[in-house]
Amino acid sequence: MLFNSYLFIFLFLPVVLLGYFALGRRGNVAPVVWLALCSLAFYSFSNWQFVPLLIASIAFNYVVGLFLIERKLGPRARRVMLTIGVVGDLVVLGIFKYAGFIVVNLNAIFATGISIAILLPVGISFYTFTQIAFLVDAYRGSVARYALPHYALFVTYFPHLIAGPILHHKDMLPQFERSETKRANPHLILCGLIIFSIGLFKKTCLADGIQPLVSLAFDLSTPSLDQAWIGALAYTFQLYFDFSGYSDMAVGISLMFGIFLPINFNSPYKARSIIDFWRRWHMTLSQFLRDYLYISLGGNRRGPLLRYVNLMVTMLLGGLWHGAAWTFVAWGALHGAYLCINHAWNRFGPNISPRLARLGDIVALLLTFVAVVVAWVFFRADTVDAALTILTRMTDPSHIVFGRGEIADSGIIVLYAALAWFAPNTQEIMGYDHAHRRVGERLTVWRLRPLFLYATAAVLAFGILGIQSHSEFIYFRF
Amino acid sequence: MSVRNLVQFVGAAVAVMLMSVGLNFVVDPLQLFRSANFYKPMYSNDSRMQNAGLIRSQTFDTVFMGTSLAIHFRQSDIDRVVGGRSLKLSMTGSSSHEQSFVLAAALARHPKRVIWEVDDWIFRNAPDVDADIYLPADLYRRNPRGIAEYLFNGVMARESAWMLARSTPLLAPVATRVSTGIVFKFPIPDVDDINVLAPTFDLGSFYNATRAMAAFASITSPARRVYLADGYNFDAMMKNFERDAIGLIQANPEVQFDIYLPPYSILQFVAMRDASPATLKIVYDFTAFVAQRLTQLPNVRLHDFRAIKEVTHDLSNYGDVIHHSPVVDAKVLQWLASGEYRVDPSKPLASLDALKAQVEAYRVPRFSPSPLVGEGGSPR
Repeated sequence: MLFNSYLFIFLFLPVVLLGYFALGRRGNVAPVVWLALCSLAFYSFSNWQFVPLLIASIAFNYVVGLFLIERKLGPRARRVMLTIGVVGDLVVLGIFKYAGFIVVNLNAIFATGISIAILLPVGISFYTFTQIAFLVDAYRGSVARYALPHYALFVTYFPHLIAGPILHHKDMLPQFERSETKRANPHLILCGLIIFSIGLFKKTCLADGIQPLVSLAFDLSTPSLDQAWIGALAYTFQLYFDFSGYSDMAVGISLMFGIFLPINFNSPYKARSIIDFWRRWHMTLSQFLRDYLYISLGGNRRGPLLRYVNLMVTMLLGGLWHGAAWTFVAWGALHGAYLCINHAWNRFGPNISPRLARLGDIVALLLTFVAVVVAWVFFRADTVDAALTILTRMTDPSHIVFGRGEIADSGIIVLYAALAWFAPNTQEIMGYDHAHRRVGERLTVWRLRPLFLYATAAVLAFGILGIQSHSEFIYFRF
Repeated sequence: MSVRNLVQFVGAAVAVMLMSVGLNFVVDPLQLFRSANFYKPMYSNDSRMQNAGLIRSQTFDTVFMGTSLAIHFRQSDIDRVVGGRSLKLSMTGSSSHEQSFVLAAALARHPKRVIWEVDDWIFRNAPDVDADIYLPADLYRRNPRGIAEYLFNGVMARESAWMLARSTPLLAPVATRVSTGIVFKFPIPDVDDINVLAPTFDLGSFYNATRAMAAFASITSPARRVYLADGYNFDAMMKNFERDAIGLIQANPEVQFDIYLPPYSILQFVAMRDASPATLKIVYDFTAFVAQRLTQLPNVRLHDFRAIKEVTHDLSNYGDVIHHSPVVDAKVLQWLASGEYRVDPSKPLASLDALKAQVEAYRVPRFSPSPLVGEGGSPR
């Protein structure tokens, strides 16, 4: 089921909210069970064939986690249990996500004609990573025991199940246990609705609105320089508004239930370095990769050279996490290289004079943005060759059209750039503070509150009116 | 914030939505409820959506249907060469069920004639139109759900506002300039221009032997040849044909159906011959069945253009192995008007036999791209 569907907005969400708060009067566990069951129903609506896999994954990880938390195992046995858990998760992920990729490459190398068709279970990358983090922390001894319903809800919780944010058990499980979250709070519901509205608008109006321009670069066989740039920039903004819109909607929906989700985006295109970009883009994935991969590899503790190696490995695997294709490997490699250069620059580069700081910031922002756009070309293209062709077109001044259509399309790109660079982001608008569980406090005393309410109501209306019957979120395929 | 604020918020959202619905109803971009009278109508290349409006708003006695092979025709050319007043409803990549469904909606307006470009592959997989996310089936049915989806539609409201802007003298110059057709869905001022190739389109670089041979090499490569057989199942295709074609034709005995099998390049069949012979057999058997079945019906004239060697063997006519150039489009209209390649009901398989002989005899040219070929020449 899609957040941007009438069925979800007008039926599923109201029913689940009503049931949750009605059951909240009867106890603390029933609403959790209700929410977990509704989450499974949400998942099964369009992925029913993969529900057994999801349930099996939950059961498997919960049992392995129990051994790690409860049993008095020796260090060796604990390590074996962790290995079983992590390898089990990765094998399942590997079969469903990477088997086809491996077969295609084997066919290419050995000229064989093997064909396999394995459907990718939606959300598998997200719920696998969520549970690996749980197991690793259980192994490290930093997890308390949780009841099965709460654990099941932690994995299946429908606002995040399909495309994140990647949740952390320490953040979520205590919230599920609190009785206060089971009582309807009009303030949180309204704030959640407004955040949801902003996310819906981002998705249905902004991301879906600019999507047709993407074809200028990626569907034309010989785009001109200007068309290639328009298409690449259009995808840059489409992806941002699509995924951050989804994340906003997830945060907003969860807030209606009184649960604060971590934020996933913090105006990433305002970043002034690639390091800064990765602190602002898909933040929960960045944190996961840092805590459970980069640091596990040794991080920066084993000298500068190994630090760069670890960065490259982390970003390559991060690229592969997005999809089983060489284009994602190239994207990850590019970002790994960017990060290495960025760290090297921080270490060896000259200091900028305070007088030039402002100019330096602008140059850094533009340079970072262009580097990110170049990487997105690999992320979006069907093949590495196609990506290289588009990049070649983007640097070929001998073929420029810039006719009436391209001029009009450029105007749209400028509008989107202005939104990404100059508009406040959702958490800034709403005063959303995940760490302190606060939201919308300024709004309660703001004189212009009615105006704000009407403006955001219009945003909701346009978001709903913009719903198209065939518009999945880009990150559903990862 | 209180419950009162919550109610205010939801109430305001509903009010904005109702204003948008009102705008869509008044402007009616698809002209579903009334003809455009206070603004200049505009049209869309999204034929699955646009056709629902065209069927209601246009005057016609001939319906033209097909896939991408029949999408670039101008209605004025059809009228001039074949006669009558036509309405083109061709849809790119459409299945037999989509075509039959849209034709049935058009036939409710009682045209005299249907010209139908029929590909064998449209009968491979023809899912129910209600499972088709690209075809607004309820809009064709004009049921409450379809009307609601049309009116409660922000994209349509944007188009409504844009059409009004284009009809307002002060705003028209700017609105016209930014209507590129990529973002705006209704950029076409003349119904005759829907889905036709722009005058600036470079035919030579799109339709040439290099591209045709490249497509042939691609579909016959070891990695891709498995897709040639994709969906080809004689029994399923026959069932879809009976439902979508025969069922429609028999339900409209007063309508004359001119059905034609389009002139693919010979490479289409040669690809199957070389890389998927079992698929070629299904195509032969199925089209034999189609020819025999259609020529039995009194209101059908079947035209088979597949064995017209001077066209199908000249690869410079093609952009890939099937899509032919507008030059061939013009010939198709002439052939339809003259009936030159009409299948004789007493010899329904004669043209198929000729095609089989051509396919068997054809030798794929050794091909190396040259400037001559790149400019549209033949490899031979």
